Amino acid sequence: MNAVEIKNLSKSFGPKQAVCGLDMTVPMGAIYGFIGENGSGKSTTEKMICGLIPTGGGSIKLYGKDYTDESVRTKMGVLIEAPGCFPGLTVFDNMMIQAANLNIENSVKEVTRVLKTVRMEGAAGNKYKNCSLGMKQRVGIAMALLGDPTLLVLDEPLNGLDADGMRIMREVFLNIVKDGKRSIIVSSHLLGELQKVATHYGIIRHGKMIVEMTADELDASCRTYMALQSAEMNRTKMLLGCRYSRVEEDEAGYIRVYDLTTPEEIVTYLYENGVCVTEIKTDKIGLEEYYIDLMKGGK
Amino acid sequence: MENTMKFEKVSFCKRVKSMLKVDLRRMFKSKLFYILIACALVMPILMTVMMSMMDGQESVNQQTGEITIMEGPENAWQNIGTLPGGEAMGGNEVFMMCNINMAFMGVAVFVCLFVSDDFRSGYSKNLFTVRTKRGEYVLSKIVCGFITGALMLIVYFVGSMLGGAISGLSFDLHGLNAWNIVMCMLSKILLMPVFVSIFTLISIAAKQKAWLSICGSLGGGMLLFMTVSLITPLDSTPVNAILCLAGGLLFAIGLGFFSRAVLRKTALV
Repeated sequence: MNAVEIKNLSKSFGPKQAVCGLDMTVPMGAIYGFIGENGSGKSTTEKMICGLIPTGGGSIKLYGKDYTDESVRTKMGVLIEAPGCFPGLTVFDNMMIQAANLNIENSVKEVTRVLKTVRMEGAAGNKYKNCSLGMKQRVGIAMALLGDPTLLVLDEPLNGLDADGMRIMREVFLNIVKDGKRSIIVSSHLLGELQKVATHYGIIRHGKMIVEMTADELDASCRTYMALQSAEMNRTKMLLGCRYSRVEEDEAGYIRVYDLTTPEEIVTYLYENGVCVTEIKTDKIGLEEYYIDLMKGGK
Repeated sequence: MENTMKFEKVSFCKRVKSMLKVDLRRMFKSKLFYILIACALVMPILMTVMMSMMDGQESVNQQTGEITIMEGPENAWQNIGTLPGGEAMGGNEVFMMCNINMAFMGVAVFVCLFVSDDFRSGYSKNLFTVRTKRGEYVLSKIVCGFITGALMLIVYFVGSMLGGAISGLSFDLHGLNAWNIVMCMLSKILLMPVFVSIFTLISIAAKQKAWLSICGSLGGGMLLFMTVSLITPLDSTPVNAILCLAGGLLFAIGLGFFSRAVLRKTALV
């Protein structure tokens, strides 16, 4: 059984088709990285999963049940766009309200537990409107964690978090899914951070799922390349460009050769042309580059 | 590892109870609630005292030379309704409108801001993700609006009596008895769900646009406003109360279903 199973989902806003025949499968125990450009339909899909906007067609199943089934929905945690808190109330009061909505019996204990998880126990008495952006984001995540949810839907949860906050969130995510039953859908533009925790990926474009894969499959799909530096970078680039089909210079100042080759072959070729290689290494493209490649239409 | 998950069902009563608990907690923590209750207390006192002080004062129209004599209230009950054979609060037409029935309009502000706050703050996302039964939300809002409205009516009544006592007005019931007053107040309270359900429907349709829901609710409320004094006169009997109860239930259930349909068919964010 999958945590989320979406078939042929569609949604349009007037003439604009936001989601178009989307299929999506989130296995139990997965941290599902949901990736796409701005306006690609990520948030719309997440809102439909959460029942916040009516679907235009297709089906959504959560743990084998229809997504409108209240028993499944009470075990969902959500953070979409911004935490839904009343600005004039304290962090604790806002948490207590959501705890009551979830029918949590020992609510004070549960609220204290989740605030401690996101290291916000010291700010429980602060009014929500006085919290910083990062603190608000932590409150939103804490609220989503209330009641030990089986499915978390988090839209850009890492926005505004500092390095420590991101580390805590990674720990929290990994802790949640460790029993193999709970699942998390995370959409984020911070692909480097997402790659550290995601076990599955779904890439959406123009409302359609263009690829779904596991982290292992992504790893296998990510091409290796040679990154090198020399004393004469411009000449090196020109020479490599004559011999190999795809040669690029990266932000770190390395020349990358994506063609199938070996370091020995490149070093020999450049040496024969009077260029001395000072550094050469083999590496793999990350999720970010894979995604950019995919968006450009080439992989 | 077992590849299944078990989910507990929560009973209707428990769900409604927790939803009401949340809304009542929010209501009693909201400044707006106390401001409206304070207004309901202060307004009749100020109005009665000021009108009594102006009683008999002459004002001359500079252009026509016409002399107008201000008429103040004669009886404390005029703030609640029209006495048999008499007029409502004084002869001034403005005060014909500004009586206890103002609470029906005051509650519009409360309901509109209370509902729009849910959508503006994003709380609706948290709520509707874990709550699929939209009817419970509507029910909870109607109950909160009803409680606020009923409290405003009671407080306005107390304020009117205080104002009458301060101004030294007569408390003569002109042949009516305390039972009629009780029935009049009960009728007004039981009529409150009619207005609250209209305001709730408009607020839910307008969602985060508080200004739109307030304008719509005040406009919609004004259409029915004049009927309140007709249905709930000072000489009300149990028949008035029963009629108001029936109307209140009919509107609350009917418009409640409409509100639920609006929530189900439209985007909640």
